[in-house]
Amino acid sequence: MSLDTVSLNLFIAGMVFLLSAAVLPLLFLRNGKRMLRYSSLISAFISCLLVVCASLPVVVYNLKIRFVIYTITYFFSITCMIDRLSAFFIILIAVVSLSVIIYSFSYIEHMIENIKKNMIVCLICFFIVSMIMVVISLNMFAFLFFWEIMSITSFFLVMSEYEKAETKKAGLFYFIMTQLSTLFLIFGFMAIANISGSYNFENLDGVSSIAVNFIFVSLFIGFGIKAGIVPFHKWLPYAHPASPSNVSALMSGVMIKVAVYGIVRYVVDIAQPPLWGGIFILIMGTISALLGVIYALKEHDIKRLLAYHSIENIGIILLGVGLFVIFTNYNLTALATLSILGALFHTINHAIFKSLLFMAAGSVVQATGTRNIEEMGGLVKRMPFTSSLFLVGAVSISALPPFNGFVSELMIFLGFFQSGALLSPILEILMFTCLSLFALTSSLAAACFVKAFGITFLAMPRSDHSKNAVEVKMPMLIGPAIPAVLCVVLGVFSSRIFTFLGFDLPIPDLLVISSIAIISAIAVIIIVKISGRTKYPVRIDETWGCGILSQNPKMEYTASGFSEPIMDIFKPVYRTHTHIEKEYSDKHNTLFQKGFAEIRLFEIFEEYLYMPIARFVMKISADLAKIQNVIEPDSYILYTFVTFLLLLIIGGWFI
Amino acid sequence: MINFPYEGILSALFVLVLVTAAFILTRRNILSLFTNYAMQSLFIAIIALILFLKENSVTLLVLSILTFATRVLIIPYVIKKIQKLMRIRRDVSFHYLTPISSLIVSIVLIISIYYSFYKFAANLSLAGVSYLGSTLGISLTFIGMLVIFSRKKAITKIVGYLVMENGVLLFSLFFSELPLIVEILIILDLIMLILIAAILAFGIDSTLEEFHQKINPLQKWVKEKF
Amino acid sequence: MNDSTFVFYIIFNLFFAVIISPFFMSLIKKVKAYCQGRKGPQLFQTYYNLMKLMKKEVVYSSTSSNIMRITPYINIVVILLSSICVPLVFIPQSSGSGFGNIILFLYLLALAKFFMALSGLDAGSTFGSMGSSREMTISAVFEPVIIIVFAALAFVMNTADIYRMFTNSVNSSMPFLNPIKFLNSISLFIILIVETSRCPVDNPETHLELTMIHEAMLLENTGKNLALMELSHAIKQTLLMALLINLIIPYGLITTLTFTGVILGAFSFFVKASIVSVIVGVLESSIAKSRLFRLPILFMMVFFFSFLTILFEVFLK
Repeated sequence: MSLDTVSLNLFIAGMVFLLSAAVLPLLFLRNGKRMLRYSSLISAFISCLLVVCASLPVVVYNLKIRFVIYTITYFFSITCMIDRLSAFFIILIAVVSLSVIIYSFSYIEHMIENIKKNMIVCLICFFIVSMIMVVISLNMFAFLFFWEIMSITSFFLVMSEYEKAETKKAGLFYFIMTQLSTLFLIFGFMAIANISGSYNFENLDGVSSIAVNFIFVSLFIGFGIKAGIVPFHKWLPYAHPASPSNVSALMSGVMIKVAVYGIVRYVVDIAQPPLWGGIFILIMGTISALLGVIYALKEHDIKRLLAYHSIENIGIILLGVGLFVIFTNYNLTALATLSILGALFHTINHAIFKSLLFMAAGSVVQATGTRNIEEMGGLVKRMPFTSSLFLVGAVSISALPPFNGFVSELMIFLGFFQSGALLSPILEILMFTCLSLFALTSSLAAACFVKAFGITFLAMPRSDHSKNAVEVKMPMLIGPAIPAVLCVVLGVFSSRIFTFLGFDLPIPDLLVISSIAIISAIAVIIIVKISGRTKYPVRIDETWGCGILSQNPKMEYTASGFSEPIMDIFKPVYRTHTHIEKEYSDKHNTLFQKGFAEIRLFEIFEEYLYMPIARFVMKISADLAKIQNVIEPDSYILYTFVTFLLLLIIGGWFI
Repeated sequence: MINFPYEGILSALFVLVLVTAAFILTRRNILSLFTNYAMQSLFIAIIALILFLKENSVTLLVLSILTFATRVLIIPYVIKKIQKLMRIRRDVSFHYLTPISSLIVSIVLIISIYYSFYKFAANLSLAGVSYLGSTLGISLTFIGMLVIFSRKKAITKIVGYLVMENGVLLFSLFFSELPLIVEILIILDLIMLILIAAILAFGIDSTLEEFHQKINPLQKWVKEKF
Repeated sequence: MNDSTFVFYIIFNLFFAVIISPFFMSLIKKVKAYCQGRKGPQLFQTYYNLMKLMKKEVVYSSTSSNIMRITPYINIVVILLSSICVPLVFIPQSSGSGFGNIILFLYLLALAKFFMALSGLDAGSTFGSMGSSREMTISAVFEPVIIIVFAALAFVMNTADIYRMFTNSVNSSMPFLNPIKFLNSISLFIILIVETSRCPVDNPETHLELTMIHEAMLLENTGKNLALMELSHAIKQTLLMALLINLIIPYGLITTLTFTGVILGAFSFFVKASIVSVIVGVLESSIAKSRLFRLPILFMMVFFFSFLTILFEVFLK
């Protein structure tokens, strides 16, 4: 049996297991027994393992497997192809799903109703199936079919806790945005089909430029809405906090990456965008990265903070893709390979450490019962394992060596640095500006995670919520541990992995560096132990408080206090309005009676982009509703008559 | 001296000239304004000297010495003497632009002016450094204008005008033939000195609002009389 | 052959950096003392301080966690790793491990800063948290400047590898006469001042809560831990001085390994770094520490300066 068929069989076996895992809870919807969900989850776990084993040979040996599942007509068939890019994304989806599934073993149990628990398991499995099928679809119909299934299942998952008003608003917003993205995708795909004549993803190089530009913009907007690129990002900070943590991990870790898959597939395979397209992607990436991290700095809801950081990292991935497009337009293939590999590596890194962070955050939220980090603190003593996991995630996302985030950002930095003398001057000036903004983003992310980790876990508990927190159960620790281990492994072995896959990149060998680090650490510890021999043992005492005898939690820094200097520096971006109303008891305004103070952030996108469009649409639908509001059936038949007549005339005239 | 890196030294001097302009744009200490203006004129005099070494034209040498004498020695000396009579030491108010945004605006200004004049460069056959020098002269003039409208105290506005003049000098150094332009510049300098003396009479240590307040009684008297 | 010279280089560079760094700290203190009209501590005082601290009792706060206990070790190991990135005396052939990557150097320093900031927050005292908050703000706003300066260096010398940049400097004649390099050296000097928390960014002498940034984060460390943190701060300063010196005045740097070359190189680096320390000391004594919220304007000025350097390089290409 050749490697192709082995991979294919493993893959199909994996899909079957996953589908059965999805269907099983549906059959026994009201059954409350845990074994039902456990068996379903175990089946999903096995299927993810099988799928990973199926995709690894494809990535390593650069195979191409093509198969058809079902043919509806000649044009619409569910054709699938697993090539290197798809297999890479399948590994990404499967690995993250593995950890989320293990995490879900005990996370779901905190929901109250049995129907909800079973439905969540079923929907998660369908969600994973649809994402894997999107990534391997070759036919546009199949792509859109599975894309819609992915959107709908994720919508229901977001609405899991539908009793709260916050969730309802978040779910509705998310649903509208995802349907908008499908709309733009349909535009783009219809245009591609029109030009190339078939409904498979064919290469469009060398075709007339106006249509290809339109396809590029429309597909970019469609995928951009799903990925969370500024200015289409507004649904992300609502949807991620409102959904349960394992769902947020899946959505932020994987679903956003499927949108990135769409963009990368277009840029690499279908049509290479012109130079202005690359510059456009570069600028959108820089804006998303910068605005994402600046808005993340002011957040005190731990899940919204992580959601804004997803926007930032998608911006970084787009930076890499934009660099790739610019370099291929100038025929600099080595630099182009470096950039696209940097973008793809950052994709998988982000999937891993973001899901790790969301799962650890979910554990914290479940243990303390609040999402506000200003009420947490001191959790490092009460939840030691969760805090170490969150620390690994925080260090990875701040792009610090030797973890994986550092390597991917390094590759994009090297792309910027080496582009120096090879492009036109004004393009180089743009690259240097984007480079400095990218560096600003990266350092602000580190600052934000010092705040997030420090205020949440370190020092003393700031409220009773965190004082009474206990460590979570074992599955909720093993789940995030898998991505944590992968963060370290991917970072340390990164250059070995790339040489193994056949790419020769100028990145430092972190394995050697880490081994030297470990040796020097041992040497330092030995030297310190020898030279530091004192007759005094280690003493535990109070924190120095300038003479105050007992420190209480009110003396600690709050999260707002920590980020206040940065927020002051970036005041023009935030544009907060302070609104103060005071009522006095006397007419000389000296005796204060009661008052109202409000600090409102200037939500620039909501007020200037989304709300005007929403109001416009509401106005038009209100006007149209007046036409439709007549109850008689005669008017409906009149409308149908007019429409069909017009269609016939136009059809006959033009075809 | 054959391999003397003209381009490198000239571009380094350009950077120093623009940095002194940036200091004038953002610093709040009034004494530093004059020091920076003197340094800027010194750098321009050195640029003229290097151009003289490169092209061996006596006009440039004369210009360099003249610039050094008037703008580095005489004008700052005169203004410093005037400053001793003033009560204020700092100019903290910024109008329309904060220090950081004015620096960003200057960078955008320099880049856009460089690229806007590409068409003229081809017609006049200006080489790399000369083209850069002329566009930097224009940018320096615009930065001088930035100083005038974004700061409130009158003394800073005067220094901004002097910076504009420096920009015109820099532009003329690189653009084309010199003799007439040199004379015009010197005349401008003299007019400037007269202006300074005129404003001095009404109190140079104030913003324009206070200046108007001081002039107001005089205006009313003039209206009553005639 | 290549590997054994590289191993020798690592050990030599580490030891050299560790041994001479405390000297430069005391030299700067002595220069500042002379500027203030007093005699100041003796030149080997920092060594005595470090040895005294190693023998002192270690006190941990009851609210602090393992972060406080491991941060000094992480700090010293990371700074030792970054000292391998910057050759002080002898430039080895790059052995393919990519050690000389300038971004690796920058992010190793960022890793040390991250853990220092976390340890500041750990004890729950307001001093440490305030130091962490301000330190992360300043390093966040200053990072674009550092990257632009490094990008300018990489652009001028066509490489992003520190070893190759130094070799380039050694091979070119009179590098300090190259005007662009001279301007970049001014930016590198400013980076040295900001990263080692000296005036006008931070005052390393005071221990008042309103005026300290770096020292505030170290406040809770005692004994061996404080010795390790002080030593890593001193080594970081030496490395940044070496980056500045070896790019501009590379006399004494050797690329082939000879005994006399090493001795002469060590001596010349010692002299050059002492001169830079004296300049830093004099500069610190003549400028006051500026207010925290005036610092972004200062950084923007440095950014403007570095951006112009690279802009004109691009225009005149």
